Amino acid sequence: MSGERPLPAGVRARVLDAAREARTPGAAVPAVERIAATEALRRAADALDALLRSLDEADWGVPVLRDLDVQGLVGHLIGVEHDTLRALGGDPAVGGADHVASTQGDAVRQAGRPPERTRDEWRSLVDVTLVAAGGLRGSGVLLALHGMQLPVDDLLVVRAFELWTHENDIRAALRLPASVPDAPTLALMTRLAVQLLPHGAVRAASLPGPVDLHLVLLGGGGGTWDVPLQPGLGTGASADDVVVVVDAVDFCRLVANRIDAAVLDVHVVGERTATDGVLAAAAALALD
Amino acid sequence: MTTQTCRRSGGRRILPNRSRPSSYASTVPLVEPTGPLLTARIAAGDDRALAEAYDLVAGAVHAAARGVLGDTSTAQDVVQDVFVDLWCHPDRYDASLGSLRTYLSVCARRRALDLLRSDLRRAAREERRLRLLPPQREPSPAEQAETHDAATVVHDAVRQLPPEQRQVVELAYFDGLTYREVARATGVSEGTAKSRVRLAFAKLAAVLDHNLLEPS
Repeated sequence: MSGERPLPAGVRARVLDAAREARTPGAAVPAVERIAATEALRRAADALDALLRSLDEADWGVPVLRDLDVQGLVGHLIGVEHDTLRALGGDPAVGGADHVASTQGDAVRQAGRPPERTRDEWRSLVDVTLVAAGGLRGSGVLLALHGMQLPVDDLLVVRAFELWTHENDIRAALRLPASVPDAPTLALMTRLAVQLLPHGAVRAASLPGPVDLHLVLLGGGGGTWDVPLQPGLGTGASADDVVVVVDAVDFCRLVANRIDAAVLDVHVVGERTATDGVLAAAAALALD
Repeated sequence: MTTQTCRRSGGRRILPNRSRPSSYASTVPLVEPTGPLLTARIAAGDDRALAEAYDLVAGAVHAAARGVLGDTSTAQDVVQDVFVDLWCHPDRYDASLGSLRTYLSVCARRRALDLLRSDLRRAAREERRLRLLPPQREPSPAEQAETHDAATVVHDAVRQLPPEQRQVVELAYFDGLTYREVARATGVSEGTAKSRVRLAFAKLAAVLDHNLLEPS
């Protein structure tokens, strides 16, 4: 463009430093309301509860996931809530239990029950979880559940994540529009997913080598993180730089393994094997 | 488990990748540096996106500021103000109204005009003080020299204006008349009076030494 000429050396660094001084990189604007993990779980439960209350009796029999219909899936959530309460009570048996196998009994026993009884049982258990977890918040206690070992707040966010995921499984099965968490809940979900990403990388074994990930999650509840990822323990090779820019809700769908990375609207920079490995690591965090 | 680390990126560019090693040629797809995506990334706290925006449009932003203020350090300050504002308030950019380059250039011009008006008003206040307000005490020789220098620069700059522009500046800024009063006094429309003041600003900016003036 006419009239444009290079700015003096040093202006670029001065401008960027002044910007970083005015607003710390990483945090999104506008800032979202900070809520407690118990509140996030309560909101996710309210959303699923509202959906279940809107269903016809026939809807409860629609196949959703694995061999489960809507009622069976809510039964699975009853099982997860039972195991969560056992974890909150310090029962070590649920620490290594399989997320699906451990809950299958509760899923199967819903067959033939009135749907509202299934719904009420699940919701009552969530409310018990909220009370029990509320007493442990801030205690620093690590809870072991289904292969995870997490502080109580993080475990509650995992529960909110799962309720949102299954709410949308049901919506998809019934051809209803997808829902998105509100920004405060989403902010907790994205933060936790990013924290767990190194575990996903180890679990997926999908990285060709160490990766320095610059992750940008767009939209309310998003943010920017620099995350070092290792394909396994003790790898000392130099790291690949990878940039991933994706909508925060889509990232959560990827973490829930509910969207194929191949069709994800994602912007990436880096070696193809490394970028694919990062997306696979995110999808490996899913509990199903 | 890794906690969130918002490391300062130091302005590394992630696109275009022309500076990347050839092994990055397999990178797909690339982050396209469009205005909406850049501002969405900036909203997410991605300072690399701000660096990209700077690299893309800082020249145009600086040109817009120079058009008003001349090639001064104040024009560079305007560039800084514009990008800091973009970083803090990326939601103010509306892609439906134009490109990021156009938006930031308009911001720069507006900011430069604000600074110029502020400087001129300050200079005018100083000039009025010199003419109308007797000093409470005898100024020191250094103060006398300083105020004399400031007044001389302002007067000299105004004196170089075409007569019709000089007249509106004197009426509006030295005599304190409103645009409507200036228009009535000079027998022109209010729009013409404003236009003459704007033209006068641009010419004054080229000759006024901003170092004489107090900071905003």
